Amino acid sequence: MASRPKILIDCDPGHDDAVAILFAHRHLDLVGVTTVHGNNTLANTTLNALRVLALGAIAVPVAAGAAVPLVQDANPPAALHGSSGLDGASLPAPVAAPLALHGAEFIIEMASKHRGALVLAVLGPQTNVALALRREPRLKDWLAEITIMGGSTALGNITPVAEFNIHCDPEAAAIVFESGVPIRMVGYNVTRTTGFDGHDIARLRASGRGVARTMADLLDFYLHKQRQAFALELAPMHDVCAIVPYVAPQLIDYAHTSVSVELAGTHTRGQTVCDLRNVQAAAALHLRGLAPANARVALAARARPLIDLVIDTLLTYP
Amino acid sequence: MRKVLIDCDPGHDDAVAILYAARHLDLVGVTTIFGNQTTALTTQNALKVLTLARLDVPVAQGCARPLLGEAPLAPDTHGPSGLDGVELPEPNRPAIDMHAIDFIIEAARRWQDELVLAITGAHTNVAMALRLEPRLKSWLAEITIMGGTAGVGNLRAQACVNILSDPEAAHIVFTSGVPIRWIGYETTRDVLMGEGDIARLDAGGKVARAVGDIARYYRARQRTVYGIDGAPMHDACAIVPFARPGLIGYAPVPIEVVLGANLARGMTLVDRRPIQPGVALSSVQAKKSANALMAVQVDVRGVIDALVDTMLSYE
Repeated sequence: MASRPKILIDCDPGHDDAVAILFAHRHLDLVGVTTVHGNNTLANTTLNALRVLALGAIAVPVAAGAAVPLVQDANPPAALHGSSGLDGASLPAPVAAPLALHGAEFIIEMASKHRGALVLAVLGPQTNVALALRREPRLKDWLAEITIMGGSTALGNITPVAEFNIHCDPEAAAIVFESGVPIRMVGYNVTRTTGFDGHDIARLRASGRGVARTMADLLDFYLHKQRQAFALELAPMHDVCAIVPYVAPQLIDYAHTSVSVELAGTHTRGQTVCDLRNVQAAAALHLRGLAPANARVALAARARPLIDLVIDTLLTYP
Repeated sequence: MRKVLIDCDPGHDDAVAILYAARHLDLVGVTTIFGNQTTALTTQNALKVLTLARLDVPVAQGCARPLLGEAPLAPDTHGPSGLDGVELPEPNRPAIDMHAIDFIIEAARRWQDELVLAITGAHTNVAMALRLEPRLKSWLAEITIMGGTAGVGNLRAQACVNILSDPEAAHIVFTSGVPIRWIGYETTRDVLMGEGDIARLDAGGKVARAVGDIARYYRARQRTVYGIDGAPMHDACAIVPFARPGLIGYAPVPIEVVLGANLARGMTLVDRRPIQPGVALSSVQAKKSANALMAVQVDVRGVIDALVDTMLSYE
């Protein structure tokens, strides 16, 4: 059997980022974590990442990346994650300091070290990845795949048509989607259907295990916020959906098509425009907006088996 | 002597700016970018110019493309090599083994509060450096920019090649908070070397004669493309004030770069309304506070003579 795929996670913990990190470490070869502004300030997302790694006793390096988006003004932190960006539980103190280099430089270093073999998971705004791609033109040939939680084929969350991660830094997302690296994207259209409910959280708590209990506390907070904001009874596990295909590929369906990021629209800035028309070449004579396929876009997920897999994974921690 | 680093895309007028800076200032390095030609070609041109003048200044090659999209090139006025019309020696050394972005960061770190960064091409290298090193903006003493226009444009009706080549990068630079000195194309297009200036250069040493050829070719292209009779010394105008402060007069202005996908993309929007910053009336939008010193008057003859004299001072 082939050795586990190597993965580097670029993220802004974030409750769902925390779940994704713990999930990835258990199933794949997690080689590092880079942090970015987004759910909260860079300082907080970095601290949160270090604390999640301490919680899971995961010894991988962390490099802090961009504190602001590439072009647009800085965004206010997301309210759904609380003032620290990871409210709801007391997490252990970090057991290590971040590396002295910029997250974008660390991405380049790891991709060079594992040429052709590294999957880069991007679970927050894409600023670090965009900087890395522009800083190192060979990076696009070194990465095996970029797996993105972001965008949507349909409705958005932060705006009617834009999803939070892309909307935080649309120019960065445009750079990533144009890069030529194989891309896998799971957008809000799918992730809003894959969430923990009260029973899932109770299962975590009932196990008596320490990590599970801490995660239950975090997810209780997150579920409460989702109820308040959207009257949802689900705590969507957005980010882990970008990791699942490398563990259980049958759980999410994808279409290979073109995705473009809208930068200029008054109402649509940050939208991922996914061409789902299934255009047949011969009939394309009068159609517009055709572009080469650049991503595998998630269309549907088997939510219950996916969530069960994630809970089972969290329960493997002590 | 002021320490200066020139980020450029030689380019006829970039070449003159480099030769002027090397004579009067402490030119610590040249970094290269696309625009007048590909970065690979502008790098070779920079090395050739420095080799001609026997200047031991390091050259670090920069980004090959802008932040978004592909690299747009403007060879109509500079020719297929980016520096057509003059015979230059082959470079006597290669570019150094360091990316322009890192060179800019390291130079600013080494000479904190002393280094002036001149940008006479697209802003991609500088924007990347600002984003990869958040402390850079407090290390740089000043950024001096030739690019954009407050009036008539070149590649577009009211926009110019350096900003158009990478508007997002220019936005990053103009919003960086670093003190900025700016001269636009509407002013530099009148800073012309004419027949008499070229004749003086033709009678000089090998550097002066090369600059004479540069000006002759550039003048011919300007006539053909724009009907301008002279070789505009755009880029040198960003450098000359650091050796001869009296030649160019400045006024503080708010300036921002237009982004988006519209006719105005790449414009440098300068607010020259004679109203107080920050004061809003019912329908009169408040003027933002100044983020740059804009060149508003140039002693053209003074600048041209300074340039010609400098080229003649080379062996």
